Amino acid sequence: MNIVIFGAGTVGTSIAEILCENQHDVCVVDVSREVLDVIEEKLDIQTVCGSACDAITLFQAGVITADLCLAVTTHDEINLVGASLAKAMGASRTVARIFETRYTDTSTFDYKRHFNINHLLSLELLTAVELAKQVRSRGAFSIENFVRGEIEVQEIAVEKSSKAVGISLKDLKLPKGVRVGLISSGNQTIIPGADDAIKAGDHVSLIGTRDTIESVKKKFEHKAPSRLNVVIAGGGEIGFHLAGILQKGRFNVSLMESNEKRCEYLAGKLDNVTVLHADITRVSEMEEARVGKADVFIAATGRDEDNIVCGVEVRELGCSRIMSIVRRPDYANVLAKLGIDVSVSPREVMAKQVLGLVETGPIQARSSLFDGEAEIWEVEVHENAPITKAPLKDISLQQCLVAALERETYVKVPGGEDQIQAGDNVILLVGKDFTEKSLEFITPVKDS
Amino acid sequence: MKLLDFVVQKAIVPDLVVSSKDDAIKAMVSSLKDAGIFKADDEEGVVAAILKREELGSTGIGKGVAVPHTKHPSVDRLVATVAIAKNGVDFASLDGEDVYILFLLVSPPDRPGDHLRALETISKHLRNENFCNFLRQSKTAQDVYDLLEEADNDQLDQ
Repeated sequence: MNIVIFGAGTVGTSIAEILCENQHDVCVVDVSREVLDVIEEKLDIQTVCGSACDAITLFQAGVITADLCLAVTTHDEINLVGASLAKAMGASRTVARIFETRYTDTSTFDYKRHFNINHLLSLELLTAVELAKQVRSRGAFSIENFVRGEIEVQEIAVEKSSKAVGISLKDLKLPKGVRVGLISSGNQTIIPGADDAIKAGDHVSLIGTRDTIESVKKKFEHKAPSRLNVVIAGGGEIGFHLAGILQKGRFNVSLMESNEKRCEYLAGKLDNVTVLHADITRVSEMEEARVGKADVFIAATGRDEDNIVCGVEVRELGCSRIMSIVRRPDYANVLAKLGIDVSVSPREVMAKQVLGLVETGPIQARSSLFDGEAEIWEVEVHENAPITKAPLKDISLQQCLVAALERETYVKVPGGEDQIQAGDNVILLVGKDFTEKSLEFITPVKDS
Repeated sequence: MKLLDFVVQKAIVPDLVVSSKDDAIKAMVSSLKDAGIFKADDEEGVVAAILKREELGSTGIGKGVAVPHTKHPSVDRLVATVAIAKNGVDFASLDGEDVYILFLLVSPPDRPGDHLRALETISKHLRNENFCNFLRQSKTAQDVYDLLEEADNDQLDQ
């Protein structure tokens, strides 16, 4: 594939690296010749010096024949304009990184449609989603995210005397945004129909939007587990999004931020979060915030060094689970040695997205459930795929469930009357013996 | 574009009594649902979408008016409703004043042009002080409806 990247910062460079490793032709555009020289020494890529908003520069970089353009400079506006220009000039697909998530809100104005950009990605939001996933997964049960964090797949064990036991799925009255994807009773795993019922001890996988999954979990539990105390250090965009996600779950969330103005802003936006005005580099202030008593501590400031140091500090104070954002790959080795349990890097989060985008087939991402009994696919539906030819109820899918559908910017769990269209993103749940058969439904057929 | 092209007559609320912004939005969406505009299942989703938009910045644009709006796939055409709150609602407006006139708009996602035209139509009329004064004095849904019709036909003095 021909891929043009706008912006040779940390994100741009690491994307270029990943794509080079995967044998793609990469050209990087940046306004600074010096930055380009550094990256050129490391990687076998083309570079063009100039602005991503300048059509002549973009022409030189080859966007006209590009399969993919990724605008990842540090300015939202440059990314929006650059990606839009690239698309208009001929690039097949464009992605703009955005910092301000208000650009993804379409209520008043639809930026994505106006600029004709395929995806607006907020790396900060995606990183927060990844961190939240780590915080929320307790015990052995996994949580997976799809469609840029919009859709979640969660495994849970059905407890004895929970409300759902013995009730058929159609009588379970699950809300619209969620469905039971798989039921596993030890020796067999099925994709259930409306009449199947859940037994105590079964494992089920729930698929749906994050908020709705959180709200139906209690149907499968005897009683809700105790709330965990979570402390987040750093109220930047990542900390803000993370607190926003966790406050809806079973967590008592405290958010520490050193800038007073920012604290006021955060307190105004996050109703169920305790916002503390505190400097995380001062031990006394950390003690005051009772971080030692927290169940989980997440260091999410803008500086790797601060995140690592305060992580170690909090471990000393007695907190049992430490997570940290670490941007520079060089630090990866020392983290485990320092007792930091989980580190999430925005680079890796971006890498996952980018690798999905360079997939040539319809499947953008896949993962397995219940020890390989079933697979989850994130699929981009192309023109002429058989699945688009009729409403879902008339398509004879076998052990293959269309669990979620993303059209425009709306995600929903489709019903039988819904018809899949080209351009939709769908989440398919596929039984292990039916993968080939299911693939036929999403592989475009040429008109004869 | 005219107001009555998209304001749903049956959903007009001439006597909104609520104590918060959230309740005002819930009541207006509920009124659209009662008029048969979307299914009961979708009500919560529409409310959530409108509240999410409000978080980014209030649609209370000052002078006692607010225009909460969103796009949502549960509607297949532009729909709006009008509510008059005699006692005022704290809408976190730009000028800090309470809101007395509310226009709530929901459009399908694939009609961005119409959505903006509708917002433009609403904003244009709300700039007319006479229109606002008469709206605040309306007692029944019919009063409101008649007033919208007059505004559409340019029968109100500026």
